[in-house]
Amino acid sequence: MDNYSVLGRIGEGAHGSVLLGKRKSDDKEVALKKISVKKIEDGIPTAIIREIKTMQVLHSPYVMRLLDHFPKGTGFVLVFDYMPSGLWEMIHDVDSSLTESLIKSYMKMLLKGLDHLHKNGIMHRDLKPANLLIGFDGILKIGDFGQARTMWKDKNGKRPYTQQVATRWYRAPELLYGARLYTEAIDLWAVGCTFAEMFLKRPLFQGETDIDQLALVIKCLGTPTDENWPGHAQLPDFNKISFATSKPESWDVLLPGVPSSAQNLTKELVKYDSSRRIKPHEALNHKYFFSPPKEIPERDLPRPHHDHRTEIKIKELDGANFHMFQDFNLLLDSVL
Amino acid sequence: MFPTSSQRKHWMFKNEDELQTLRVQANQNYIESYQDRLGPSAQPTLNAEDEKTLLKYYEHTMMRDLCKKFQPPMPKAVIGTAFNYFKRFYLNNSVMDYHPKEILVTCVYLACKVEEFNVSITQFVSNIKGDQKKAADIIINNELLLMQQLNYHLTVHNPFRPIEGFLVDIKVRSRLANAEKLRSGIDELIEKLYLTDACLLYSPSQIALAAILHSASKNQENLDSYVTQTLLGGDPTRLTDLIEAVRKIRIMSKPSDVFQPNRDLIKALEKKLDACRNEENNPDSQIYKERMNELLEDPDERPSARKFAKARRSMGGDKMTGVSAIDPNLSP
Repeated sequence: MDNYSVLGRIGEGAHGSVLLGKRKSDDKEVALKKISVKKIEDGIPTAIIREIKTMQVLHSPYVMRLLDHFPKGTGFVLVFDYMPSGLWEMIHDVDSSLTESLIKSYMKMLLKGLDHLHKNGIMHRDLKPANLLIGFDGILKIGDFGQARTMWKDKNGKRPYTQQVATRWYRAPELLYGARLYTEAIDLWAVGCTFAEMFLKRPLFQGETDIDQLALVIKCLGTPTDENWPGHAQLPDFNKISFATSKPESWDVLLPGVPSSAQNLTKELVKYDSSRRIKPHEALNHKYFFSPPKEIPERDLPRPHHDHRTEIKIKELDGANFHMFQDFNLLLDSVL
Repeated sequence: MFPTSSQRKHWMFKNEDELQTLRVQANQNYIESYQDRLGPSAQPTLNAEDEKTLLKYYEHTMMRDLCKKFQPPMPKAVIGTAFNYFKRFYLNNSVMDYHPKEILVTCVYLACKVEEFNVSITQFVSNIKGDQKKAADIIINNELLLMQQLNYHLTVHNPFRPIEGFLVDIKVRSRLANAEKLRSGIDELIEKLYLTDACLLYSPSQIALAAILHSASKNQENLDSYVTQTLLGGDPTRLTDLIEAVRKIRIMSKPSDVFQPNRDLIKALEKKLDACRNEENNPDSQIYKERMNELLEDPDERPSARKFAKARRSMGGDKMTGVSAIDPNLSP
């Protein structure tokens, strides 16, 4: 910690606070993410080990870089580049214009970053606008790997994962039904939701509870069937709750005024059947990226000014608070 | 991916001489600081060869038993990663500074976390015979030291994935009738290699191929044309290097090279180690107990955070405190 001085506070995360700091050697501004160790019985928390481990494996211009890390007091500090803005800010800033070209640029960077993650056997498990950060150069980077983990690689290994991941609005339907044998395709659902949100300026499925979330998804995509979602009836919580039968809504209604190629890409991502969701490298070849308007070249991307994040919070305080709200209750808890 | 990994960059060495140099250096460093500290009352110390013998002994007995008998059964990757950590740790540290019994359990515990084999500390130490509370303290207090000594390079590439890859490839592209029958021979070589320096000298895929070829020859099968033609496309330069690596890996695992513990020698070395080990890292020593008490009385720390802080602060620079010996007889 002696190598850094603290300049201020950036925000509060699920595992601790994020501070703005300066590296003394070269005055470089950095984000100091402090993770406190609450439960000491089992030693160093798995979340810290996962974040350090995943960040060491990943090297992509579209993924946050871990500059340094060290134990401090009763916790651990992870040091990242300071990112003045993020996709959440870009969506909610009334002054910035999230044009169709810019959306295309962000989407491309997001998919390239995610492709890198999945090719390295890592799923993020908490993708959402707030975890997509934008640097001084305007480049979007995937951040916050506190929930990321490596996938099981055992040959016979169908070992379960926890279903208590992802922020509700971006949570894939298999998670909402309590699946524990899910795949990295949960990230693709979240990308689809994020993509739609850039056009809508509000979350695609803004559920208020886990049940409400599922109800909303079903209302939009229609009642799951054996054709569009094989195996859904065998998910752990499927029989615990049922919803009124509904027909799928047209994407023209869900995404009004959005170019059809973008509607189509959303449809390919926001699919019940996780095995049919379009993979990042396939999505990058989707017709959306070859339809006008062209994306903005990286060197011409809008560059956020230093305090973009703080200015936004002042403008939309209610929105910000609502957005910070995270609920990890299981679907079950709210049913029973 | 292995080619871009920290393992390849920081934890692969050219040859055994390079490993030997590091180990001799670690041994020398300890002896110098020990003799400086204790002056005329310093006890006879272990030499680098003694350290090697002891490390092999602990790998061969305690570490292997702990992993093999562990309940619930642990995936192979945990075992591979744990052995790799243990070898990395003692490239730069002396047995006299940190007792191998304490480090090996910590290596296995950290490997469980890193490989996502999630067991609680209570569950973990139930696999250890003796004072389990004490064992848990040892592990928790050494975990951060171990991570630091590994330079936080936590990801280990084991040969298991390349083995699966080769087997699939052999089924598709070779004339071998039943590739599955190779498995037991493969496992046998991999287990022998845990007790050698193979993982510090050869890439996971070289080790994987050596294990497959070893098993093939044991099963009186021939994969030569698969390796020379299919795998390498008849490139003679690559072939020479690969054949040489495979040959050396197989030699390493030959019975003459695998350790035969001599009980009397081990007993003598352990006795010597008890006399010359770093008392600051020995929980049964007065100096260690005093420091722990001091830390526990610190009013600044909330009780829940105390253990971690204690471990943190007792590090003094980049060193951290080890705790006493664990009973070498492992359960069940």
